[in-house]
Amino acid sequence: MQTELTAKAERLGFVLREYGADMVQAMVILVVGLLLLQFIMRKMKVFIDKRTKDSARANTILYIIYTLFLVVILTSAMITLGFDSRNVFRLIILGALAIIVILLVLRPYLPTLPFKVDNTVKVGSLLGKIEATTMVHTRMKTFDGKTVFIPNSKILNDFVINYHFTPTRRLKIDIPIRHVRDILRTKQLMESIMIEDPRVLLKPARPVVYTLNLVEGCVKMGARCWVENKKFWIAQCDLLEKILIAMDRENITLAERRKAIRVFHETPLQLSSEGENPEAEAQAETMPPATEDASFSAVHDHDEM
Amino acid sequence: MKITEAIKIIDDNWIVKPKGFRVCMQRREGSEWVIDYTPGEKAAPLDSDVTTWRTAWKLASSTPLREGEPQEGDLVNLYVVDQDNNPVDYYATGKRETFNAYSV
Repeated sequence: MQTELTAKAERLGFVLREYGADMVQAMVILVVGLLLLQFIMRKMKVFIDKRTKDSARANTILYIIYTLFLVVILTSAMITLGFDSRNVFRLIILGALAIIVILLVLRPYLPTLPFKVDNTVKVGSLLGKIEATTMVHTRMKTFDGKTVFIPNSKILNDFVINYHFTPTRRLKIDIPIRHVRDILRTKQLMESIMIEDPRVLLKPARPVVYTLNLVEGCVKMGARCWVENKKFWIAQCDLLEKILIAMDRENITLAERRKAIRVFHETPLQLSSEGENPEAEAQAETMPPATEDASFSAVHDHDEM
Repeated sequence: MKITEAIKIIDDNWIVKPKGFRVCMQRREGSEWVIDYTPGEKAAPLDSDVTTWRTAWKLASSTPLREGEPQEGDLVNLYVVDQDNNPVDYYATGKRETFNAYSV
């Protein structure tokens, strides 16, 4: 037992005597190199962020630089450790080729997220800008300033709307008006306002106004036009404001939410004297039985208009 | 006439779409009134007349007309113009409008 331990200690002593200095040097190269790399990457990030607004491109450039520097550090450490430099380079080239081949072959079968960094997307009920993606989760910044970490598994199993796939979006403004006589004036007014707005595009389709339907005495007018994705929200707000103000100026009456109330009396009508008013008596008899807690009920309340 | 020709006539003549908007104003510099714009003439104009009129109104409200002699930095006769410097009707009234109207 003791002889075995002695032999092992002797072998360790031999390895340390032979390669100890190289091992220490390699470790120093590795540690100092990695620390230096961290420092350089921080400086590079600041430098690149100042020069480009495309953070996805900046991240790619940084990733490439990081990989190259890492390969240089590892190679230096391995050569210092005593590896044959030719073998080290062969190993690196082989590794790189293997990674490329694996990626090319497996790429169609790997699940990929349907967006990139900086895209504006809607995942489920969350709408915001993608800040970063990792193997596990995606970081999104919503427009009300919240940072949300969404598991990638949830994204892959949910509906995702990516607003960057198409440069334009159709804008929709529906306005109910009360009178049929105002249809043409409303149509002209809405169309004019859309056409004279610089943000409204003529392609893929020109702005148009439809008379959508007639429900409960209200005519629903629908304006449709195309705008750039980035200008969608403000354009919609501005157009709605301009249309409403112009309609008010032109005395076009908007259809308002209607509420009809039917009143049921709990007790029969008070009659001046029994038998004197047969009409009121008959009316009281035809009334439906009153409920205990309600003396009236709303029978119609439509939100649609 | 082909439908494309008809559409071209409508596009060219019915309503001319402005390319952008600026606030035009007169600013007091020393003893003179100088015409100024925001955004400046070299900068890209705004694409929203609502925003431009709002800017004009805010500028006018920030520098209300004062009694007596005009002072350095006073802003008067603020209104919105298009890219060709043509006055634009105020969408709220449908007419020409000038904030801080002042006879210079």
